[in-house]
Amino acid sequence: MGDHRMRIPSFLVALSFVVCAPANAHVGSADVFYENDAGPYHVFVTVRMPKVIPGLAQVEIRSESNDVHEVRLNILRLSGFGYKLQAIPDLAQRSPEDPRFFVGSIWVMETYDLQVRIQLDGARGKAELGVPIPAFAQDTLRMQKSLGALLLGCMIFLSIGIVSVVGASVREAQLQPGEAPTVKGLRKARTAMFGASALLLIVICLGNAWWKADARNSQTQTWSSNSPNALATLRSDGRLLLRVQGQGELWATYIKPEKFIPDHGHLMHLFLIRLPYMDRMYHLHPERIEGGSFLENLPTVFAGKYQIFADIVDDSGVPWTAVGQIDLPNVAGMPLSGDDSQASEGPLTPTKDDSTLAQLPDGGRMIWERDSSPLRANVPMSFHFRVEDRNKRAVQDIEPYMGMAGHAAFVRSDCSVFAHVHPAGSVSMAALQLAQASLPPAPPRANEPQLVNQRDSHPAMQMTMNVSSPEVSFPYGFPKAGLYRIFVQIKRSGRVQTGVFDAHVE
Amino acid sequence: MNAELTTRVVVAQNGDVAGPHTSQPVSIDIPVPKATSATFRIPAAIWCMLVAITSDMIGGYWDVAWHQSIGRDTFWTPAHLAIQLCGVLGGLTSGFLILSTTFGHSPAAYQRRSASVKIWGFRGPLGAFIAAWGGFAMITSAPFDNWWHSAYGLDVTILSPPHVLLMSGSIAIDIGTLILIGGAMNRSHGDLRAMFRRLFLYVGGIIVMHSCFLITEYTGSGALHSATAYLVVSMAVPLALVGVARASEHRWGNAIIVAVYTAAVLAQLWILPLFAAQPKLGPVYQNVTHFIPMAFPLLLIVPGLALDLLRRATKPWKPWLQAVSTGTVFLASFVSLQWPFANFLMSPLSRNRIFGTHYFSYDDTAGFMYDPYRFQASENTRSQFWMVMTVALVAAILTTRLGFVWANWIKRVQR
Repeated sequence: MGDHRMRIPSFLVALSFVVCAPANAHVGSADVFYENDAGPYHVFVTVRMPKVIPGLAQVEIRSESNDVHEVRLNILRLSGFGYKLQAIPDLAQRSPEDPRFFVGSIWVMETYDLQVRIQLDGARGKAELGVPIPAFAQDTLRMQKSLGALLLGCMIFLSIGIVSVVGASVREAQLQPGEAPTVKGLRKARTAMFGASALLLIVICLGNAWWKADARNSQTQTWSSNSPNALATLRSDGRLLLRVQGQGELWATYIKPEKFIPDHGHLMHLFLIRLPYMDRMYHLHPERIEGGSFLENLPTVFAGKYQIFADIVDDSGVPWTAVGQIDLPNVAGMPLSGDDSQASEGPLTPTKDDSTLAQLPDGGRMIWERDSSPLRANVPMSFHFRVEDRNKRAVQDIEPYMGMAGHAAFVRSDCSVFAHVHPAGSVSMAALQLAQASLPPAPPRANEPQLVNQRDSHPAMQMTMNVSSPEVSFPYGFPKAGLYRIFVQIKRSGRVQTGVFDAHVE
Repeated sequence: MNAELTTRVVVAQNGDVAGPHTSQPVSIDIPVPKATSATFRIPAAIWCMLVAITSDMIGGYWDVAWHQSIGRDTFWTPAHLAIQLCGVLGGLTSGFLILSTTFGHSPAAYQRRSASVKIWGFRGPLGAFIAAWGGFAMITSAPFDNWWHSAYGLDVTILSPPHVLLMSGSIAIDIGTLILIGGAMNRSHGDLRAMFRRLFLYVGGIIVMHSCFLITEYTGSGALHSATAYLVVSMAVPLALVGVARASEHRWGNAIIVAVYTAAVLAQLWILPLFAAQPKLGPVYQNVTHFIPMAFPLLLIVPGLALDLLRRATKPWKPWLQAVSTGTVFLASFVSLQWPFANFLMSPLSRNRIFGTHYFSYDDTAGFMYDPYRFQASENTRSQFWMVMTVALVAAILTTRLGFVWANWIKRVQR
């Protein structure tokens, strides 16, 4: 594919795109989607994270079969202490319309590395699974005007009330029954009321300062206040130097780049997406160097402004996406190697219809199997993609790419949403492994799907890496309406093939 | 007891007691009971207020234990209902007192009106107005707290702005009850005065308990070798303790007040764990099978006794000198006992049902993130420690002096 950047009329740029400012991490997609086997049951789990923490998360569980009778929910730490004891679980309610669908609410009381522990009971026995959730408040809320007015009225009433009480206590409280207040007493009362008013004003100011401090403190607990930035520079030797610069106390105290853990084989998954049309995408895997920075031998890169999304996982299993931008010149780099890959596609424009067919570099094609109904925000769904060879026959030779059947990146046109999703969902594989490790041992099951490559196996790929399947699917839900570009990557004959699709979400 | 005496009260035509602000006064005779006999009953309104503040005290401890053992609550938990009963009963009783005093036409109403204060055209005992203010503050805290949860998350701390407003309301109901009883006490004699005085001291104990409740986060056993703990106690306790004790004029006033506080805290420490409870929120760090109570009370009983003994010796002294000596003795006696006792609370000998140092909230990371049996220093250096301790001494003296002022004012309250 060629470079399409110069073909786009400039007015479209102005009309259709917000310039991709550095967004904050996990990048606009807080809800967690997970699809996998739990014992004998196959389930699709959606965890709708609360806006504030502590807050109430909604957990939706859809079972593939209708023989699940009961679903119970709990929240535990992902690892370390706090994952051995469990509270009395919450019971998810079965939908009266769909016996395979369960919905429950659960309090998320703490931030950082947690898991939703789901216990299933059905005709084929009991099963348990842990879904990692990185728990952070998404924002703090402003007070509604009506409530603000009500509380202001109450505060004025209480203030006048207490000053009046002080006045009465000085004026009359010590008089004998029947005795009338004197002029001197009235004067003293007025002085006391004045003093009480001044004192009250100080108390209100101090209270206001306390409120603001608490609000500031709450803001520092939010995801956006803790998400890291990606600071990138192109060195003279053509290599990209990338530093993850964390924000907030969490990064200052606990999270160290030296302790990042590998997520499906790599410490960092770096996505470079050319702006504003997302016509080029690079999926690279920089190596960590001394001091905690990362270095990448760039492949051949076309000049332009690139959006950086750098996925990393800290040593507690919490995934982060460092966000940044860099202007790159034409780089005559090294040939792609290892798991690095790239894709080119025509520009993403609002005027284009949704695409469901993508040509692959090897002459094959990838088909997004979706019905004609419009895509809607906040609706969890399974994105199915079928891969065909150049003769339009379903392929039988999909290989594991970094241990999984496929990888997908969902990016909103303004870069305010970025999600790196696998067949197991939006959870990080490293976190998933920690969650699996915390589960009580389950007895081995018969008819376990045959894995293509045991070395590359992850708990999450067990259901997707059946050798005969030409399809790959990703559980995900768009967090908000808008125009999205989806990069879907699979591997055949040792080469990574990327299908690019555009989607309008209502 | 029948009303044998009458008193002539000059009232304005609108029912107000006459004064510079009234006009066209008229005279009426109202009966005044001879408030000295034990047969004269404590007014039902006072009993209602006592029930209200006792319910609040029980509800407060119950609620903390609920949060430490079960975690999840609703508006309708028994603990919350007990707290709400305080606001409702206190508010209704105060409202009744104010409305019946303002608009009543019976001789009793005239009598109450003569011993009332006037606020915004309404008449009633000062304590009723203070308690009504407290009830309204408690009601206001409800939507404020609800919004706070939705904006910043469900706050799990005792000290947050809406919680402080709620506690200000309940403390106001305590103080309103105290003033209501104080006024009646000051107008009575003999057995009745003794009875009022007992109730007065009981309310003082509840106020001290409320003060200690507010500073719980600073006075855990791990903090008791830090000067900060003694600073917050010096700021929170002497005002209420010395003020109420001195106003009661009881020779063991301080000791009785502290005994009420100690008994209440010990009761919740020993009774609540008898009931089964399990966490309903996660993550769970501690295995909880029963209600987890609040910690062993602060050893204020010794300062209480010391202050009573000191008061007799320093009676002829000037107020400021009394304040210096009282504040110093309060802090010195408290530190000298609490400090070594904190060592005991850290030892395995205290990990039993009597002292309860083995109780941990389900969400307490004790044993994982920190050693609960090791002191946590709030001050980094020795000089910092002594500086904070000096501030604590100054605070104890100042709050004691304020307590004297408050006591002198209460002693003269008639309405």
